[in-house]
Amino acid sequence: MFRSKCFLGVLILFSTLFLTTSYPVYSEEDSLDKIKKEGVVKWGADAESGAPYEFYDPSNPSQLIGFEMDMMDYISKKMGVKHQMVQNEWDALVPGLKRGNFELAMAGIEVTDLRRQEINFTRPYYVYSEQITVRKETNNINKLEDLRGKAVGTQSGTVAMRMLKDLGDVDTRIYSSIVGAYTDLENGRTDAVLLDYPIAVYYGKANKALKFSGDTIGKGYYGIGVRKSDEKLLKKVNEILEEMQKNGELEKIYKKWGIWTEQQKELAGFENIDKPYYKKENTTNSSIASANAAKNMVNNENPVAEIKKKTLEDRFTKDLPILLKGALITVEISLVSMFFAIALGLSLAIVRIYAHPFFQFLATAYIEVFRGTPLLIQLYLIYYGLPEMGIKLNAFTAAILGLALNYAAYEAENYRAGIKSIPKGQMEAATALGMTKFMALRRIIIPQAIKVVIPPVTNDFIALFKDSSVVSVITMVELTKQYNYLASVSYDYIGLGLMTASLYFLMSYPASVFARKIEQKLQT
Amino acid sequence: MIIIEELKKSFGPNEILKGVNWKQVRGDLAVIIGPSGCGKSTFLRCLNQLETFDSGKISIDGIVIDHTGQKNSTTEEKKRVLELRRTVGMVFQNFNLFPHMTVLGNIIEGPIQIKKTPKDEAETIAIELLKKVGLQERANFYPSQLSGGQQQRVAIARALAMKPKVMLFDEPTSALDPQLVDEVLYVMKEVAEEGMTMLVVTHEMNFARDVSDQVIFFHSGKIEEFGPPEKIFTEPDSPKTREFLKKHLSSNSKN
Repeated sequence: MFRSKCFLGVLILFSTLFLTTSYPVYSEEDSLDKIKKEGVVKWGADAESGAPYEFYDPSNPSQLIGFEMDMMDYISKKMGVKHQMVQNEWDALVPGLKRGNFELAMAGIEVTDLRRQEINFTRPYYVYSEQITVRKETNNINKLEDLRGKAVGTQSGTVAMRMLKDLGDVDTRIYSSIVGAYTDLENGRTDAVLLDYPIAVYYGKANKALKFSGDTIGKGYYGIGVRKSDEKLLKKVNEILEEMQKNGELEKIYKKWGIWTEQQKELAGFENIDKPYYKKENTTNSSIASANAAKNMVNNENPVAEIKKKTLEDRFTKDLPILLKGALITVEISLVSMFFAIALGLSLAIVRIYAHPFFQFLATAYIEVFRGTPLLIQLYLIYYGLPEMGIKLNAFTAAILGLALNYAAYEAENYRAGIKSIPKGQMEAATALGMTKFMALRRIIIPQAIKVVIPPVTNDFIALFKDSSVVSVITMVELTKQYNYLASVSYDYIGLGLMTASLYFLMSYPASVFARKIEQKLQT
Repeated sequence: MIIIEELKKSFGPNEILKGVNWKQVRGDLAVIIGPSGCGKSTFLRCLNQLETFDSGKISIDGIVIDHTGQKNSTTEEKKRVLELRRTVGMVFQNFNLFPHMTVLGNIIEGPIQIKKTPKDEAETIAIELLKKVGLQERANFYPSQLSGGQQQRVAIARALAMKPKVMLFDEPTSALDPQLVDEVLYVMKEVAEEGMTMLVVTHEMNFARDVSDQVIFFHSGKIEEFGPPEKIFTEPDSPKTREFLKKHLSSNSKN
């Protein structure tokens, strides 16, 4: 039965939610001090299809590996702290860094003028080129210009994407997942993929149906992103990088991962100041390729690139525990946001039926706006938009808030229908006894309305449960996202996909059975 | 006890009550009769403010709602309306029991929630009242498990549990199978005999004739005529009363 206290406290709770959450706060102190104090440096990266930068080890999927992981091991050791990777969509790493989700951003981020307007970069740590990958049988694509008129896949926000745009007349397909780009190429949905060489080595070359075509194109640099306010941190990381480049530590790491090229030698010659290291004409227009260096890279045999077939035992012993962790997050998010959605929805419904016309109008406007705009946009606004107004919510709170605010609009309509279905005589009998309107609602109307709305609310709960996967766009790693990670390193889309779908079903089916039981019990 | 002065009420362009005046002393039972649409139900509902009225004044047991002059402050009036409703009990045509509560739950709801009566005390009172309406063994039933007559008796007990000074009955037997009418009228008679001040809108002419102290004949938004039953039923002044009674008494006897 509906508890009066929760009914009263709902709006208050909701408003305080904004205030009581702890989120990273920019302060005057440099993040370097904060890192030392907390003993951990947080860095943002995207482990989904993140090989060889950072990715989950296919043979031990709870373990993160990658050349940038190795670099961070070294950097953090030198700083005397631990390091922790924070998962973030690759094309949202810069906003993520700016809003304070982490102190460093390192995931093969190309140093570009546009990005340098937003954040600072350390001295470059890798010289990259772009690589065209095609299907084995393709022979007519050998250089950048051949891509004109073709369907070409690349990753959202990369320099490769901009090169294709500058080339013009290319049917550019933007993928947020690298694996998707290469699978679509293999399946004939695109004609070629243009992406950074290290990526191409891992995802293109490893695939027997694909091959590299032509020389590597252009030249650019990866840098570690640092917030503009963190000058001390920038200086510190630069010092460590310089040391790594001069003492051969970096070369060791790159050789381990098969991405060392002669080109990398130039890195040690840079000065430790933030400036545009690349020349625009180099990256975008010409094909001044360091062909020899590239060929060296191609010949490097890479042990990790070999994808092993998953056995059933692997799936249950290694993948299932990870999926279950994601499932727990999914359950948490769904339950908490549904609780708030119901509470807020009920309040909205009551306002819409009983309150002063002005407030009725506000409630109606709320419902229409939140029903009429995509949840995805609402989540983006809450997570990336609100920080501009000084409200920084952590991902979990933002996810709950987004889902709750959105679903409240639907619940409000359910409850409105429910309340309207209660005969008028009930309210009259209650007021005739001398109850106030509020008391009549609480004691007489709402308990009856709740029974009426159990089926549609259950329906919405199951929908929310599955919709909750959308919160991965604001860096929440829930069940679907966890599946994406695992599948993107193992290519086991079918096996893991069926496991994930089964988990969803195993969780949502009991919910509907439970709701039916309650419904039957209340039908007296 | 009840003083009504120049009560007026309109729904949009339709004037339902065109200036009703009524006085009733403590312990009296008045029955309101009249053709449908004459405003008798609206009049009754104005008395406990289920309907607001446009102008006039009502005073029940010293609680005054006055719309004759300027409108008073609304919060002040709201308080008095609540007080009024707690003094005046009402029984509806469709019973309007709370379906999600047991019979006992229905009866103790008002005392516990509104008067803050302790639960055991409220239950003792409720059991007493159930005995009075002859349903003590139905205390833990739900309304849907009762017949219409039983439900209406519970509704009467529910109203009485608030210890009202005045009871209003809005066609309490109109929704009942004729077989079940008597058990409800019997309970009402009992309540009247205990000295309750009552106003009853009904079509039960026998009840009006046998039990009431006053009979009010309502016609197009006004009290056309009133008086003791023996006068109204035998030698009414108004031809409208005569016509109504002629139609009604004959149709009544057909049943």
